[in-house]
Amino acid sequence: MIIENSLPILLSRLDFAWITSMHILWTPMTIGMSWLLFIMEVAWLRTGNERWYKLNRFVEKIFIINFGAGVATGVTMEMAFGILYGPFSQAVGPFFGNILGFETITAFMYEAGFIGLMVFGWGKISKGMHLFATFNVGLSSSLSAMWILVANSWMQTPDGVVLKDGLFQVTNWWNAILNDNFQWGFPHMWVATVELALFVLVGLSGFFILKNRNADLFTKLLKPALLALIIVTPLQIFIGDSIGRVVAHTQPTSLAAMEGHYHTYLPDGKVNTGWHLIAIPNAKNDGNVFAITIPHVLSLLETHTLNGKVTGMDSFPAKDRPDVWVPFYSFRVMVAIGFFLFFIAIWGNWLRLRGKLNATELRKRPWFLRALVFSAFLPYLAIWCGWWTREVGRQPWVVNGLMRTYQGTSHMPVAMEIIWWVGYIIFELTVWAGSWYFFTRVIKKGVDGIPDSSTLFDHDHADAADVKAGGGHVTPTFASKPMLRSDR
Amino acid sequence: MDLLSIGRIAGTLTTWWWLLLSLAFFLYIATDGTDLGAGIFAVFSKDEEERGAIMASMAGMWDGNESWLVVAGGVLFGAFPLVYGSAFNYLMIPLMFALWGIIARAVAFEFHIHAKKSKRFWGWAFAVGSLFATFFAGVSLGATLQGFPMKSGLAMQSGLAAHGVFAQDYTTPVMHFSGGILDFLTPFSIWTGVGAVIAASLAGGLYLCARFIPGDSIHERARAWTNIVSLLALAAIVVTLIWSYAIFPWAAAKWTGSDWWIWLIWFIIVLIFAFKSSTNHSVRKDFSAMMWGIGVVALLWAAMWATIFPYVVPNTWTIVQAANPADSIAVFTLFMTGFFPIMIMYNWYQIWVFRGRFSKKMAYGAH
Repeated sequence: MIIENSLPILLSRLDFAWITSMHILWTPMTIGMSWLLFIMEVAWLRTGNERWYKLNRFVEKIFIINFGAGVATGVTMEMAFGILYGPFSQAVGPFFGNILGFETITAFMYEAGFIGLMVFGWGKISKGMHLFATFNVGLSSSLSAMWILVANSWMQTPDGVVLKDGLFQVTNWWNAILNDNFQWGFPHMWVATVELALFVLVGLSGFFILKNRNADLFTKLLKPALLALIIVTPLQIFIGDSIGRVVAHTQPTSLAAMEGHYHTYLPDGKVNTGWHLIAIPNAKNDGNVFAITIPHVLSLLETHTLNGKVTGMDSFPAKDRPDVWVPFYSFRVMVAIGFFLFFIAIWGNWLRLRGKLNATELRKRPWFLRALVFSAFLPYLAIWCGWWTREVGRQPWVVNGLMRTYQGTSHMPVAMEIIWWVGYIIFELTVWAGSWYFFTRVIKKGVDGIPDSSTLFDHDHADAADVKAGGGHVTPTFASKPMLRSDR
Repeated sequence: MDLLSIGRIAGTLTTWWWLLLSLAFFLYIATDGTDLGAGIFAVFSKDEEERGAIMASMAGMWDGNESWLVVAGGVLFGAFPLVYGSAFNYLMIPLMFALWGIIARAVAFEFHIHAKKSKRFWGWAFAVGSLFATFFAGVSLGATLQGFPMKSGLAMQSGLAAHGVFAQDYTTPVMHFSGGILDFLTPFSIWTGVGAVIAASLAGGLYLCARFIPGDSIHERARAWTNIVSLLALAAIVVTLIWSYAIFPWAAAKWTGSDWWIWLIWFIIVLIFAFKSSTNHSVRKDFSAMMWGIGVVALLWAAMWATIFPYVVPNTWTIVQAANPADSIAVFTLFMTGFFPIMIMYNWYQIWVFRGRFSKKMAYGAH
């Protein structure tokens, strides 16, 4: 048996997989949506059109619940490397530790500083300062994604280091940071966050138009969002294909697992060029029990020739082969979602070309609107699947080809691993259920309760004007009406 | 040139990061300590409005404050990964509980605003989460001061052997945590947990006094609370000092060594700060009282770090043993040091924007 699949190591993998999966539910929305909030704010300031202000404030309410959940799960994430993978953290410290340190210092703290101003600063700071805060939330969260992808990509294609005295010591920082996987891996993740945020907006629009609440307002939002998606969705497919080819070159075992490709050659000695639509791997992980196979497609995809050789799992010793189930199916689900979302973008823009993007016409097409609402959930699943493909495909290595997962696992008893897992299942499912429940609350309340932007600087603190804060140092600014938290 | 030798520079830089680590932890304690303490105060709130008002009073700042903990974690990982990877393994249980507390209160902030029927539940999640986070952070600190056993080789050896799996030979000179999962649990670490709760309660009381208008019900209750807790805190400091002196030879050797008079003067300064805090408090100069109180924490924190020098974890990791290779520490210094003043500036600006006094009604109405 592969050590990585023994109970103690499998549990530590599950422990970490769970907290990662529950963290990546939140951060993509923060990263992508912060830029969309920025764009809406710019649109409001430039055109003076009140609808962009209202949409911004409405989406911001969802954004901040999402952000809270992201921080809650993210603090755990940061400590979990040391708790669950202590020896890994020690060995990779000279590079990976530095990068995570960069992330917390240049991105996490940076973001936390500005997000308070963005959410609670309306009417307290000038419009220009507020826009600056929103911009910085966008920049800092994207920076954060960049550092995290540097760290994770380096685990896929570790470059620029030598293993000396048990530590991965850096010999070339540029090679380590701009490693092969990062060059396409980061764009793939970043575009995914934008795509997710756009589909959340589009889904919200679909829902409101379907319910005939503020239908005109949300049609105005739908139009530019669909236009952006006709660029973003095919771009993401292109980037996805590019990262796929990087994986094929740098992580052949991962690619073989993603494709359920066990045999480099067929029994008759010819190159195995078949691509499996569906496959059921056998228990020994050395072949498929059942598969629906299309010849030549795999070679076409990976080598762009009809009969090119693609290295199969049988070219590697059994102990170095990853599990096939997870990478094979999560990869397919991700790709299917990518194409489905592209199709939705085409559908929407086809309606635009025929001049149907107005509330009356759209409401005659409830299936389109329902498809939009459905599509808001799909990017979440696609991101999960992509990350699972990446992480399970790299097994049994934690640092590809250099350090095995069991070597990086912390010293802990199985009972503790189970307690950790069960505890985090309870806590993070509560976070998830709570956040999504309160999303529905915000959506139910809708846009109508949001006061006009003209009330923003309409200060009135008669009831508190004579009270000096901090024992007489400053004048209070709390009581201004538009800043009531019920506005959020 | 001996002065420019790589080893020497790296040693200096590593000590520099040891200081920045202490600074990041201090900023966390100083800023989020008040938030956590106010949360502990909220455990004893009689009505939901009060809890809501307390939460609203820190709405724009708590995440910035809490981020110092993440920064401290990041500095530990970036500059001292050997400590990060072993100490957190050792502290698995207390950190797990502290993190659950932090999760509970982080989401409670957002959910409490939108909740209708479940307001009470989230109010409690905030209050109890604050209590848990503080207690287990204190336990972690006490446990760290005690140090932990380590050895080199495969960390999961025994766990795998218990399941009949025998790993291939794997050798590494890196020392990892090798003790039991409950090693952290000692009377001293439980006491430091209690001590942290007392200290945070005092900080929270001072914060609430400064944050709410005199005469407001929260302000008045926080006053009474602060008066009692300040006595407890003084007692807790004395007990902790005596206990540490008794069980930590490395501390005793410094405190009653040849430099004993420095420590004595330092202790007298602590008492002066505590006295100033208390006199300011009694004449309702609440902001000043809070700042003097934070001064006490700063002095005690600095004294603790001076006592554990040259260790990062007493009797376990010295600064030099725990440091990253010279090259990494140099890169970390080059790119990260400059961010510290920037981070402090915008955390300060954020607190400045949201300054001012609340009343319970205003806060809750705004909630």
